[in-house]
Amino acid sequence: MLISAKSVSLVVIVLTMAAGSVETSTARMQTERSLAGEWIVTSSPINGQNFSPKGLTLGFPDRDMVFEQQGDLRIGVVLREDAGQNVRPLGVWRVTGDQFSTTFQLWCPDADGPCGSIVMRGQFVRDDKISGTMTAFFNVLDDNTPTGYDTWTFSFAGNRVAPSATGGSN
Amino acid sequence: MISRTSHSRKRVVSALAAVALLFTIATSVLAGNELNGRWTFRITIPEAPASTTSRTFTVTLDVLPRGESLHGRANLTDEAGRTVGAAWRQVGKDISIAYELPCPGDGPCASLILQGRVKGGGVLIKKGSVIVMWDTANNRNPALYDTSNGTFRGDRVE
Repeated sequence: MLISAKSVSLVVIVLTMAAGSVETSTARMQTERSLAGEWIVTSSPINGQNFSPKGLTLGFPDRDMVFEQQGDLRIGVVLREDAGQNVRPLGVWRVTGDQFSTTFQLWCPDADGPCGSIVMRGQFVRDDKISGTMTAFFNVLDDNTPTGYDTWTFSFAGNRVAPSATGGSN
Repeated sequence: MISRTSHSRKRVVSALAAVALLFTIATSVLAGNELNGRWTFRITIPEAPASTTSRTFTVTLDVLPRGESLHGRANLTDEAGRTVGAAWRQVGKDISIAYELPCPGDGPCASLILQGRVKGGGVLIKKGSVIVMWDTANNRNPALYDTSNGTFRGDRVE
Protein backbone atom coordinates (compact mmCIF):
# COMPACT_ATOMS: atom_id res chain seq x y z
CA MET A 1 0.00 0.00 0.00
CA LEU A 2 2.83 2.30 0.97
CA ILE A 3 4.72 1.43 -2.23
CA SER A 4 1.57 1.97 -4.24
CA ALA A 5 1.06 5.44 -2.77
CA LYS A 6 4.68 6.32 -3.53
CA SER A 7 4.28 5.08 -7.07
CA VAL A 8 1.16 7.15 -7.55
CA SER A 9 2.91 10.22 -6.17
CA LEU A 10 5.85 9.63 -8.48
CA VAL A 11 3.58 9.27 -11.50
CA VAL A 12 1.72 12.47 -10.57
CA ILE A 13 5.00 14.38 -10.19
CA VAL A 14 6.33 13.08 -13.52
CA LEU A 15 3.06 13.91 -15.29
CA THR A 16 2.98 17.38 -13.75
CA MET A 17 6.56 18.04 -14.84
CA ALA A 18 5.82 16.70 -18.32
CA ALA A 19 2.70 18.88 -18.63
CA GLY A 20 4.67 21.92 -17.51
CA SER A 21 7.35 21.11 -20.04
CA VAL A 22 4.80 20.75 -22.85
CA GLU A 23 3.09 24.01 -21.88
CA THR A 24 6.41 25.82 -21.80
CA SER A 25 7.37 24.33 -25.12
CA THR A 26 4.02 25.29 -26.65
CA ALA A 27 4.24 28.81 -25.30
CA ARG A 28 7.76 29.14 -26.67
CA MET A 29 6.62 27.88 -30.06
CA GLN A 30 3.75 30.36 -30.06
CA THR A 31 5.91 33.32 -29.16
CA GLU A 32 8.34 32.37 -31.90
CA ARG A 33 5.73 32.61 -34.66
CA SER A 34 6.48 35.28 -37.20
CA LEU A 35 5.18 36.33 -40.58
CA ALA A 36 8.59 37.59 -41.61
CA GLY A 37 9.44 36.12 -44.98
CA GLU A 38 7.83 35.64 -48.37
CA TRP A 39 4.44 34.01 -48.77
CA ILE A 40 2.25 32.96 -51.66
CA VAL A 41 -1.33 33.58 -50.62
CA THR A 42 -4.33 32.20 -52.44
CA SER A 43 -7.83 33.41 -51.76
CA SER A 44 -11.29 32.05 -52.39
CA PRO A 45 -14.86 33.20 -51.90
CA ILE A 46 -16.94 32.34 -48.86
CA ASN A 47 -20.40 30.99 -49.68
CA GLY A 48 -19.97 31.96 -53.33
CA GLN A 49 -19.65 35.68 -52.57
CA ASN A 50 -17.45 36.80 -55.46
CA PHE A 51 -18.37 40.47 -55.05
CA SER A 52 -19.03 42.93 -52.27
CA PRO A 53 -22.64 43.97 -51.63
CA LYS A 54 -21.94 47.06 -53.75
CA GLY A 55 -20.56 44.96 -56.61
CA LEU A 56 -16.83 45.42 -56.04
CA THR A 57 -14.26 42.64 -56.18
CA LEU A 58 -10.53 42.10 -56.08
CA GLY A 59 -10.75 38.78 -57.88
CA PHE A 60 -8.97 35.78 -56.45
CA PRO A 61 -5.44 35.80 -57.84
CA ASP A 62 -2.44 34.37 -56.01
CA ARG A 63 -0.60 37.11 -54.14
CA ASP A 64 3.14 37.26 -53.50
CA MET A 65 3.49 38.90 -50.09
CA VAL A 66 6.68 39.82 -48.28
CA PHE A 67 6.68 40.63 -44.59
CA GLU A 68 9.62 42.24 -42.85
CA GLN A 69 10.48 43.26 -39.35
CA GLN A 70 12.84 46.09 -38.47
CA GLY A 71 12.90 46.33 -34.70
CA ASP A 72 9.35 47.00 -33.61
CA LEU A 73 8.30 48.05 -37.11
CA ARG A 74 6.52 45.27 -38.95
CA ILE A 75 5.79 46.06 -42.54
CA GLY A 76 4.47 44.14 -45.50
CA VAL A 77 4.42 44.57 -49.24
CA VAL A 78 2.50 42.81 -51.98
CA LEU A 79 4.63 42.24 -55.06
CA ARG A 80 2.38 42.99 -58.01
CA GLU A 81 4.74 42.64 -60.96
CA ASP A 82 1.72 41.36 -62.86
CA ALA A 83 0.23 44.86 -62.62
CA GLY A 84 3.47 46.83 -62.93
CA GLN A 85 7.03 46.86 -61.67
CA ASN A 86 6.34 49.65 -59.18
CA VAL A 87 2.99 48.36 -57.98
CA ARG A 88 3.76 47.49 -54.37
CA PRO A 89 0.82 47.88 -51.99
CA LEU A 90 1.99 48.45 -48.42
CA GLY A 91 0.76 47.10 -45.13
CA VAL A 92 1.59 46.35 -41.52
CA TRP A 93 1.25 43.26 -39.32
CA ARG A 94 1.36 41.87 -35.81
CA VAL A 95 1.39 38.39 -34.27
CA THR A 96 -0.12 37.24 -30.98
CA GLY A 97 0.60 33.61 -30.16
CA ASP A 98 -0.40 31.69 -33.26
CA GLN A 99 -2.84 34.38 -34.40
CA PHE A 100 -1.89 37.24 -36.67
CA SER A 101 -3.36 40.37 -38.17
CA THR A 102 -2.23 42.41 -41.14
CA THR A 103 -3.69 45.54 -42.68
CA PHE A 104 -2.97 46.69 -46.22
CA GLN A 105 -3.90 49.65 -48.35
CA LEU A 106 -5.38 48.83 -51.73
CA TRP A 107 -3.55 50.08 -54.81
CA CYS A 108 -5.89 52.34 -56.74
CA PRO A 109 -4.33 54.05 -59.78
CA ASP A 110 -7.72 55.37 -60.86
CA ALA A 111 -8.17 58.37 -58.61
CA ASP A 112 -11.86 58.58 -59.50
CA GLY A 113 -12.61 54.93 -58.74
CA PRO A 114 -13.37 53.23 -55.44
CA CYS A 115 -10.52 52.27 -53.15
CA GLY A 116 -10.19 50.74 -49.71
CA SER A 117 -8.17 48.77 -47.20
CA ILE A 118 -7.76 45.08 -46.41
CA VAL A 119 -7.56 43.48 -42.99
CA MET A 120 -6.29 39.88 -42.85
CA ARG A 121 -7.03 37.81 -39.78
CA GLY A 122 -5.56 34.35 -39.53
CA GLN A 123 -3.60 31.73 -37.70
CA PHE A 124 -0.51 29.64 -38.25
CA VAL A 125 -1.36 26.10 -39.26
CA ARG A 126 2.39 25.47 -39.16
CA ASP A 127 5.35 27.81 -39.13
CA ASP A 128 5.20 27.87 -42.93
CA LYS A 129 1.45 27.67 -43.46
CA ILE A 130 -1.28 30.19 -42.64
CA SER A 131 -5.01 30.49 -43.19
CA GLY A 132 -7.77 32.92 -42.35
CA THR A 133 -10.03 35.58 -43.78
CA MET A 134 -9.49 38.85 -45.59
CA THR A 135 -11.95 41.69 -45.17
CA ALA A 136 -12.11 44.53 -47.65
CA PHE A 137 -13.45 47.85 -46.42
CA PHE A 138 -14.16 49.84 -49.58
CA ASN A 139 -14.57 53.60 -49.34
CA VAL A 140 -18.08 53.23 -50.73
CA LEU A 141 -20.87 53.97 -48.29
CA ASP A 142 -23.22 51.14 -47.36
CA ASP A 143 -25.92 51.73 -44.76
CA ASN A 144 -26.37 48.00 -44.27
CA THR A 145 -23.00 47.38 -42.62
CA PRO A 146 -22.01 48.23 -39.03
CA THR A 147 -19.16 50.48 -40.20
CA GLY A 148 -21.21 52.18 -42.91
CA TYR A 149 -18.73 51.07 -45.59
CA ASP A 150 -19.07 48.41 -48.25
CA THR A 151 -17.58 45.31 -46.61
CA TRP A 152 -16.58 42.04 -48.25
CA THR A 153 -14.90 39.04 -46.65
CA PHE A 154 -13.25 36.04 -48.29
CA SER A 155 -10.89 33.32 -47.15
CA PHE A 156 -7.20 32.78 -47.79
CA ALA A 157 -4.45 30.22 -47.32
CA GLY A 158 -0.76 30.91 -47.58
CA ASN A 159 2.51 29.04 -47.81
CA ARG A 160 5.87 30.47 -46.87
CA VAL A 161 8.17 30.25 -49.87
CA ALA A 162 11.19 32.03 -48.41
CA PRO A 163 12.37 32.81 -44.89
CA SER A 164 12.93 36.30 -43.61
CA ALA A 165 15.90 38.02 -45.23
CA THR A 166 16.52 39.96 -42.01
CA GLY A 167 15.91 37.03 -39.72
CA GLY A 168 13.25 39.01 -37.88
CA SER A 169 11.06 37.49 -35.25
CA ASN A 170 8.14 38.61 -33.21
CA MET B 1 25.38 108.77 -57.24
CA ILE B 2 26.36 106.73 -54.30
CA SER B 3 22.98 107.30 -52.83
CA ARG B 4 21.22 106.39 -56.11
CA THR B 5 23.24 103.13 -56.43
CA SER B 6 22.45 102.16 -52.88
CA HIS B 7 18.76 102.84 -53.53
CA SER B 8 18.83 100.65 -56.66
CA ARG B 9 20.53 97.85 -54.78
CA LYS B 10 17.88 98.05 -52.11
CA ARG B 11 15.19 97.77 -54.80
CA VAL B 12 16.86 94.75 -56.38
CA VAL B 13 17.31 93.08 -53.00
CA SER B 14 13.67 93.79 -52.12
CA ALA B 15 12.49 92.42 -55.47
CA LEU B 16 14.58 89.27 -55.07
CA ALA B 17 13.31 88.82 -51.53
CA ALA B 18 9.72 89.19 -52.75
CA VAL B 19 10.29 86.64 -55.53
CA ALA B 20 11.89 84.24 -53.07
CA LEU B 21 8.98 84.70 -50.66
CA LEU B 22 6.42 84.10 -53.43
CA PHE B 23 8.32 81.00 -54.56
CA THR B 24 8.39 79.68 -51.01
CA ILE B 25 4.69 80.32 -50.52
CA ALA B 26 3.81 78.75 -53.89
CA THR B 27 5.90 75.66 -53.13
CA SER B 28 4.34 75.38 -49.72
CA VAL B 29 0.83 75.64 -51.14
CA LEU B 30 1.50 73.16 -53.95
CA ALA B 31 3.09 70.60 -51.64
CA GLY B 32 0.84 71.47 -48.73
CA ASN B 33 -1.72 68.73 -49.23
CA GLU B 34 0.83 65.95 -49.14
CA LEU B 35 0.62 64.04 -45.88
CA ASN B 36 4.33 63.51 -45.31
CA GLY B 37 5.72 65.22 -42.24
CA ARG B 38 5.09 64.98 -38.52
CA TRP B 39 1.54 64.95 -37.19
CA THR B 40 -0.29 64.43 -33.93
CA PHE B 41 -3.54 62.50 -34.20
CA ARG B 42 -6.15 62.55 -31.46
CA ILE B 43 -8.14 59.35 -31.91
CA THR B 44 -11.41 58.39 -30.23
CA ILE B 45 -12.67 54.81 -30.44
CA PRO B 46 -14.76 52.53 -28.21
CA GLU B 47 -12.87 50.95 -25.32
CA ALA B 48 -13.90 47.49 -26.50
CA PRO B 49 -16.22 45.80 -28.98
CA ALA B 50 -19.84 46.86 -28.41
CA SER B 51 -18.74 49.20 -25.63
CA THR B 52 -20.58 52.50 -25.27
CA THR B 53 -17.60 53.96 -23.44
CA SER B 54 -15.02 55.65 -25.60
CA ARG B 55 -11.37 56.27 -25.06
CA THR B 56 -9.34 59.05 -26.59
CA PHE B 57 -5.61 58.83 -27.11
CA THR B 58 -2.95 60.78 -28.93
CA VAL B 59 -0.37 59.36 -31.30
CA THR B 60 2.49 60.99 -33.15
CA LEU B 61 2.92 60.12 -36.80
CA ASP B 62 6.17 60.51 -38.68
CA VAL B 63 4.91 60.17 -42.23
CA LEU B 64 7.67 59.32 -44.66
CA PRO B 65 7.57 60.67 -48.23
CA ARG B 66 6.08 58.22 -50.71
CA GLY B 67 8.05 59.46 -53.69
CA GLU B 68 6.44 58.33 -56.94
CA SER B 69 4.50 55.55 -55.22
CA LEU B 70 0.80 55.63 -54.46
CA HIS B 71 1.59 54.37 -50.98
CA GLY B 72 3.91 55.46 -48.20
CA ARG B 73 5.05 54.33 -44.80
CA ALA B 74 4.75 56.02 -41.46
CA ASN B 75 6.00 55.43 -37.94
CA LEU B 76 3.37 55.85 -35.29
CA THR B 77 4.24 56.38 -31.61
CA ASP B 78 1.64 56.20 -28.86
CA GLU B 79 1.58 57.92 -25.47
CA ALA B 80 3.40 54.98 -23.88
CA GLY B 81 6.28 55.41 -26.32
CA ARG B 82 5.45 52.30 -28.36
CA THR B 83 6.22 52.70 -32.04
CA VAL B 84 4.56 50.67 -34.79
CA GLY B 85 4.48 50.94 -38.55
CA ALA B 86 1.64 52.33 -40.63
CA ALA B 87 0.81 52.35 -44.33
CA TRP B 88 -0.81 55.33 -46.02
CA ARG B 89 -2.20 56.39 -49.37
CA GLN B 90 -3.47 59.69 -50.64
CA VAL B 91 -5.55 60.87 -53.57
CA GLY B 92 -5.83 64.65 -53.70
CA LYS B 93 -6.75 65.73 -50.20
CA ASP B 94 -8.17 62.33 -49.27
CA ILE B 95 -5.90 60.20 -47.09
CA SER B 96 -6.13 56.73 -45.60
CA ILE B 97 -3.81 55.37 -42.93
CA ALA B 98 -3.83 51.78 -41.70
CA TYR B 99 -2.08 50.45 -38.63
CA GLU B 100 -2.23 47.73 -36.03
CA LEU B 101 -3.03 48.98 -32.54
CA PRO B 102 -0.10 48.35 -30.19
CA CYS B 103 -1.49 45.77 -27.79
CA PRO B 104 0.32 45.24 -24.50
CA GLY B 105 -1.99 42.33 -23.74
CA ASP B 106 -4.25 43.94 -21.15
CA GLY B 107 -7.15 44.69 -23.45
CA PRO B 108 -8.83 43.87 -26.75
CA CYS B 109 -6.69 44.47 -29.80
CA ALA B 110 -7.69 45.83 -33.18
CA SER B 111 -6.70 47.09 -36.61
CA LEU B 112 -7.40 50.73 -37.37
CA ILE B 113 -8.13 52.39 -40.71
CA LEU B 114 -8.17 56.18 -40.54
CA GLN B 115 -9.71 58.22 -43.35
CA GLY B 116 -9.87 61.97 -43.71
CA ARG B 117 -9.15 65.06 -45.80
CA VAL B 118 -6.10 67.23 -45.42
CA LYS B 119 -7.22 70.84 -45.02
CA GLY B 120 -5.99 74.24 -43.96
CA GLY B 121 -3.21 74.28 -46.54
CA GLY B 122 -1.97 70.88 -45.41
CA VAL B 123 -1.86 71.37 -41.66
CA LEU B 124 -5.14 69.96 -40.45
CA ILE B 125 -7.37 66.89 -40.74
CA LYS B 126 -10.75 67.62 -39.21
CA LYS B 127 -13.52 65.12 -38.53
CA GLY B 128 -11.59 62.11 -39.74
CA SER B 129 -13.29 58.72 -39.46
CA VAL B 130 -11.88 55.49 -38.07
CA ILE B 131 -12.84 51.91 -38.88
CA VAL B 132 -11.93 49.60 -36.02
CA MET B 133 -11.75 45.86 -36.64
CA TRP B 134 -11.34 44.01 -33.37
CA ASP B 135 -9.74 40.62 -32.81
CA THR B 136 -12.98 39.10 -31.55
CA ALA B 137 -14.80 36.88 -34.05
CA ASN B 138 -18.41 37.71 -34.84
CA ASN B 139 -20.27 35.67 -37.46
CA ARG B 140 -23.09 38.21 -37.59
CA ASN B 141 -20.75 40.95 -38.80
CA PRO B 142 -19.94 41.00 -42.55
CA ALA B 143 -16.29 41.38 -41.55
CA LEU B 144 -16.65 38.15 -39.50
CA TYR B 145 -15.09 40.10 -36.61
CA ASP B 146 -16.44 42.83 -34.39
CA THR B 147 -16.15 46.30 -35.87
CA SER B 148 -16.63 49.79 -34.50
CA ASN B 149 -16.39 53.33 -35.72
CA GLY B 150 -14.33 56.14 -34.30
CA THR B 151 -13.14 59.63 -35.10
CA PHE B 152 -9.84 61.46 -35.22
CA ARG B 153 -8.35 64.88 -35.70
CA GLY B 154 -4.88 65.47 -37.09
CA ASP B 155 -2.65 68.49 -36.58
CA ARG B 156 0.60 68.92 -38.43
CA VAL B 157 3.56 69.48 -36.11
CA GLU B 158 6.24 69.81 -38.79
